[in-house]
Amino acid sequence: MKETKYWKGLPGTEDLISNQADSSEFGESTPQLDGITESISTTAQTGRRDFLKMLGFSVTAATVAASCKMPVKKSIPYIFKPEEITPGMANYYSSAYVNGGDFVSVLVKTREGRPILAEGNNLSTISQGGMHAQAVASVLNLYSLGRTQKPMIDGKASTWKDVDTKVTSELSSISASGGKIVLLTGTIISPTTKKAIADFKAKYPTAEHIQYDAISYSGLLDANQKTFGLRAIPNYRFDAANLIVSIGADFLGTWISPVEYAADYAKNRKVSPEVTTMNRHIQIESMVSLSGSNADKRVPVKPSDEVNSVINLYNAIASKAGLASVSASGYSNKDIDAVADELWNAKGKSLVVCGSNNTDVQCLVNGINSMLGNYGATILWDRPSYQKQGDDTAVANLVNSISSVKAIIMAECNPVYTLADGAKFGDALSKTLSIYLGERRNETSEKSKIVAATNHYLESWGDAEPKAGVIATQQPTISPLFDTRQYQESLLVWAGNTTPYVDYMQANWATNIMPTQSKYSTSLLLWDNTIHDGEIVCNNTAPTLTPNFADMATSATNAKNSVAKRGAIELKLYEKVGIGTGLNTDNPWLLELPDPITKCTWENYLVTGASDEKYFHNPDHKEFKIANVTVGGVSFKLPIYCLPGVPAGVFAVSHGFGRTVTANAEFQHGVNVYNLLKENTLDVKIELTSEVAPLGCTQIHHLLTHKGLGGYKTRHIIKETTLDEYKKDNASENVIGEHKRKDWIKDELVTLYPGHTYPGHHWKMVIDLNSCIGCAACVVACTAENNVSVVGRDQVIKAREMHWLRIDKYYTGDDNNPQVTFQPMMCQHCDNAPCENVCPVAATNHSTEGINQMAYNRCIGTRYCANNCPYKVRRFNWYDYADADSFDKKYYTENIENIAEFPQVGMNEPLTRMILNPDVTVRSRGVIEKCSMCAQRLQAGKLEAKKAGEPLKDGAIRTACQNACPTNAIQFGDYNNKESLVSNLIDKDERVFGVIEEIHTLPNVMYMTKVRNKAKIDEFSFPENLLFS
Amino acid sequence: MNPYESPIREALINGEDTTYGKITDDIVRNTEGTPPKSWMIAFALASITALFGVFCLGYTVWKGIGVWGLNKTVDWAWDITNFVWWIGIGHAGTLISAVLLLFRQKWRTGINRAAEAMTIFAVVCAGLFPVFHMGRVWMAFFIFPYPNTRGPLWVNFNSPLLWDVFAISTYFTVSVLFWYSGLMPDFATIRDRAKTARRKMIYNVLSFGWIGSAKQWQRFESLSLVLAGLSTPLVLSVHTIVSFDFATSVVPGWHTTIFPPYFVAGAIFSGFAMVQTLMLITRKLFSLQNYITVAHLESMNKVIVLTGSIVGVAYITELVIAWYSGYLYEQYAFYNRALGPYKWAYISMMTCNVISPQVFWFKKIRRSVFYSFLLSIFVNIGMWFERFVIIVTSLHRDFLPSSWNYFTPTWVDAGLYIGTIGIFFTLFLLFARTFPVIAIAEVKSIFSTSAVSAKKKMADPQDFSDVHSHSHDHGHGAHAVVHHDKNFNEQ
Repeated sequence: MKETKYWKGLPGTEDLISNQADSSEFGESTPQLDGITESISTTAQTGRRDFLKMLGFSVTAATVAASCKMPVKKSIPYIFKPEEITPGMANYYSSAYVNGGDFVSVLVKTREGRPILAEGNNLSTISQGGMHAQAVASVLNLYSLGRTQKPMIDGKASTWKDVDTKVTSELSSISASGGKIVLLTGTIISPTTKKAIADFKAKYPTAEHIQYDAISYSGLLDANQKTFGLRAIPNYRFDAANLIVSIGADFLGTWISPVEYAADYAKNRKVSPEVTTMNRHIQIESMVSLSGSNADKRVPVKPSDEVNSVINLYNAIASKAGLASVSASGYSNKDIDAVADELWNAKGKSLVVCGSNNTDVQCLVNGINSMLGNYGATILWDRPSYQKQGDDTAVANLVNSISSVKAIIMAECNPVYTLADGAKFGDALSKTLSIYLGERRNETSEKSKIVAATNHYLESWGDAEPKAGVIATQQPTISPLFDTRQYQESLLVWAGNTTPYVDYMQANWATNIMPTQSKYSTSLLLWDNTIHDGEIVCNNTAPTLTPNFADMATSATNAKNSVAKRGAIELKLYEKVGIGTGLNTDNPWLLELPDPITKCTWENYLVTGASDEKYFHNPDHKEFKIANVTVGGVSFKLPIYCLPGVPAGVFAVSHGFGRTVTANAEFQHGVNVYNLLKENTLDVKIELTSEVAPLGCTQIHHLLTHKGLGGYKTRHIIKETTLDEYKKDNASENVIGEHKRKDWIKDELVTLYPGHTYPGHHWKMVIDLNSCIGCAACVVACTAENNVSVVGRDQVIKAREMHWLRIDKYYTGDDNNPQVTFQPMMCQHCDNAPCENVCPVAATNHSTEGINQMAYNRCIGTRYCANNCPYKVRRFNWYDYADADSFDKKYYTENIENIAEFPQVGMNEPLTRMILNPDVTVRSRGVIEKCSMCAQRLQAGKLEAKKAGEPLKDGAIRTACQNACPTNAIQFGDYNNKESLVSNLIDKDERVFGVIEEIHTLPNVMYMTKVRNKAKIDEFSFPENLLFS
Repeated sequence: MNPYESPIREALINGEDTTYGKITDDIVRNTEGTPPKSWMIAFALASITALFGVFCLGYTVWKGIGVWGLNKTVDWAWDITNFVWWIGIGHAGTLISAVLLLFRQKWRTGINRAAEAMTIFAVVCAGLFPVFHMGRVWMAFFIFPYPNTRGPLWVNFNSPLLWDVFAISTYFTVSVLFWYSGLMPDFATIRDRAKTARRKMIYNVLSFGWIGSAKQWQRFESLSLVLAGLSTPLVLSVHTIVSFDFATSVVPGWHTTIFPPYFVAGAIFSGFAMVQTLMLITRKLFSLQNYITVAHLESMNKVIVLTGSIVGVAYITELVIAWYSGYLYEQYAFYNRALGPYKWAYISMMTCNVISPQVFWFKKIRRSVFYSFLLSIFVNIGMWFERFVIIVTSLHRDFLPSSWNYFTPTWVDAGLYIGTIGIFFTLFLLFARTFPVIAIAEVKSIFSTSAVSAKKKMADPQDFSDVHSHSHDHGHGAHAVVHHDKNFNEQ
């Protein structure tokens, strides 16, 4: 029979297609066994050798197969796989972190339905893709063991039905009898929540809504009411100001909207050969703040003189403007006069902000800004900020009349902890119908009769209007983990409205928000797109204001009187960047985050300057002297921490610590100082005791200029220059030894040894020290992304914190008022890495893409790499911090002093472990770990590009630290791509340098010289100082 | 060995009535009968300490390295200090047996056995630290280059830690061989005196059936020479390689080219001091004053003052070179070493190592048992501090001041150190009780020339020929001399 040949496709392929059945069914035979199978099948004579080969192979294969224990997997697959969930692929949802008025627009990364990371949302006009430490850490609160897991009545678990019945009936009867109902909340910036509150008030006409901010901005709001007739915060434009003068306002760290301000501030500080202008920043303050640390000029003054400085500034500028001056403060400081001159020269392009909570002081500041013509230029009223709305008077009245309140409902606040009269307030809660709507257990929930457990924001629907017309949304990224209900829904239920909150919000948007915007044609489009983007900018008509600066003289007199009763020692209460008001002081990521200013963790302490040696601690033994502080009728003990830059006679202590009700005792270190708010902190008594205590400080202060055998020499770890010098020479101060860096690279950087080759990518990072403000958002983001263990206070005291990324802080200049430079420091991924060649087992090695890699399961933990790392960025797992693999499973229960139960500090129990990033190995004890340059993101980015079939685009891969940075100080990319930003910076920008390049480590992380907008870099001037020696 | 020795030269075997038989009696007696009470007490103390050390090891493995005082900046401290200290102590044994053998120093015969034993026990103690300082000690086998299914994944031959593995294992092997081969004839002596069948059998096995034939003696001597030749370079190499652990790094204070000779000199220094300590205890405990004489002490003390001075020169050289380098990190490292927060350690090191041994320039002190013992303890302490100073003061403040830290040890750190001292003494006391603590055959080899009794006979011409006949036909041998004396194995 004639064979029929079938063919398909192009000529030349016909031989391949045949209907003959004799061609191999499996195509090619298995290559490895070719020799064996061939000899068996073709000759059909099995030789002795072949037989033995086969026998050997079979026996070995059977042995190997039989000896592998197959684990029983108990995972349950989806019956119906949700369309959007692909195992192994992350989904991102927009949301908004709102804590009182603190607002950051976030993008939440979820894996297999679990939110694991919050990153900045680039589409937000407020936070502009930036983050702050608390926003990044907020995801961990979702998995907190401190969650209020179900509704409670009188401390006993209850059901929503019982709670609703009880609350509704009691509120109705109170309302009917005309009893007072108070709804006490933090600042509410959500329009829909406000509507729900209005509905609630409509149902219970005797209800009153009081808002308060733990750290109050009432003075600023009232001043604006007085001078502009509007109780709101204006729209500060830090990007439009050439000269920023801040009197005690930490606008980069904690003041009103730090992420927004930092982003705007940094825009004007990015110098390049093309742009050689930058803003100038003067900070007048007592306690060193994050803003003060970044200032070009910092004027240290006592807390009382912050007020006097405002009066001095007012008078100096008024005399220049030819306006009436107010009564003099009696305080004289040449630096303040110089600031006034500078301000006058920058008229209309300057910005004066003040952190005072005194209405009269803020009135004067408004007067100053008005005289300088800053309204309309750098301070706008087009979109007033709603981020602070608290009213001190209303709260004071409430506390005084608490006994007459029949029912009190509290949400988004912790009054028992944060009120000056918190204890008294707490006692009153037991005598009335107290209902706490809270997400985690705290001092207030403990005292309240009814706890209506609320959702975490990642389980909730919501909206937020931080600035007039700028509305952000929240959407659930996970079903509620516990039997909780978001508080707006509770209020609606109690108001008799059983509509689910999402429908209620949607309806509100359709009626109230839809008409104010012109971007979308239907309310459904508006809803869908805004939920997706996370923010919508609506039309907004600027309020009509009637400025009134007539009564400045009275304000000045009042302001002066407010600081009249001052003593030799003044106490400043301040807010920490990571801890804030203390609502999040049960978040281990934030507790272990070294404070940007002091580098201390887990607790508060008494900060004072470096002028009095009797307060100095022993820099190496971590023995801090304990002092007894007496403020009015209150006294407490805290260790003293000496911080250069705090003026003599000033002590400072931060809010946020000394919590008494948290998930575990490790979160309760320190002292609560909210009760000092009612005392006169300008006259305090400090007595040194004979006791000492350790503090969990991650950096002890040292000079970069050291006495060595060759006398004093400076370590050029950081490089800084002035703007004038930079204009003359872009490479100014960028020196290595006696050479200019570029000459040194050309002439001195020679080696006999061949280096690595990078055929594909060559990853490099560039960090601009001029933009970095040291806010530490990147540190928390790195912790979250890379499953970095939290080790607890005890271990931090032993200098064993695990952070892959830390922010080094260095001083220059006078120890009473030094200049600060922040330097993010992580693995430098050296191309000639000292760690790599000393590892006996090659557990750390160099990738073909320039990354210094760690193979955790190869590491035996000799720690030689850590010793030999000149940057000291390698971290060793001294214990089994993650409960990953150990004989001793109970590390936390046995090793931490005085704590019977110690879950959650490490990622060592099931609820908290839900935060772990499944793409990153959890390290067991005994191995070294360090920055991997987000290896998992590099891999994911490359795979995306491969799937798309395109070369990897510059900027497509962003590291976790880069994504969190509010000021875009961190750039990352492929150096082999000559179009990339990093390659352009490294090749062309003469500010670029590597840290200690002279030891020939060839780091892949580069830094850019800091440029200060000042006449001269402060000289090193304190060689023999006990604290620093 | 030179058959004739000037009667003026100080005798190395004391005792007017010492004979070959008495030597055997005096030395072997310690392995027979009930041990003295002093031994019992010493052994009880040592073994309790050793058990505590074992407990600390277990505790470390169970809990994690976190039970030590280390931190993110100082990743090595007492662990590697103890390692280098023990390895250094282990140096004297080889030096005494091999180098002094090649240089034909007769005084080595009285101390070489114990010194070699000390070497082995010191290396055992030293070896514990690099193993147990690992974070994952159960993965310690990764450091051996063996074929595996992981790629195969090989060790990193660039790492000085790997060189350590080879250097120390080689040193240990050769030391054990050297020690054991020297023991064989003496085991036979014990066997021949044994009164019970079991004891006879055990020592017969230990002696590998030694019968003392001429051929055996000839092979024995060849082996000794070969091993001496092999060991001599090891004396230099082991501590050179240990010094590479530091010298090949970038850490200021470690990265110095002077380290190999400096470490070797320091090792001999500390080794001799430890031998001195042990000898003084042993001679007292087992009444061996006749064989470990003041002449021995003096010779040892001479080596101690020489090596101590070398070490002192090295310390000063380091400082001068750091100053001269103009390199600020190194300048600071050495400034900080001498005047920083650990200056107490530097002062202890300088006092114990450089200043205190200088008193040995005085003959009276050099020959004083009390001062020899006191100073040997000083040197042991000083050399421990030397390693501590090098390791900890260099690490605790290196390049970036932001990471500077302070190391404070914990009870586990101390327990491990004391524990290894316990392990060392337990092993040494067991050795002293069961093995001949002085090389019987070797001491006898110098009896005819260097014993007081022999010298006395030499002075008396009548007896001269009798004594001399023992060794006249062995002019070629540098080592143990073949004794045809019929009394040799019997007495």
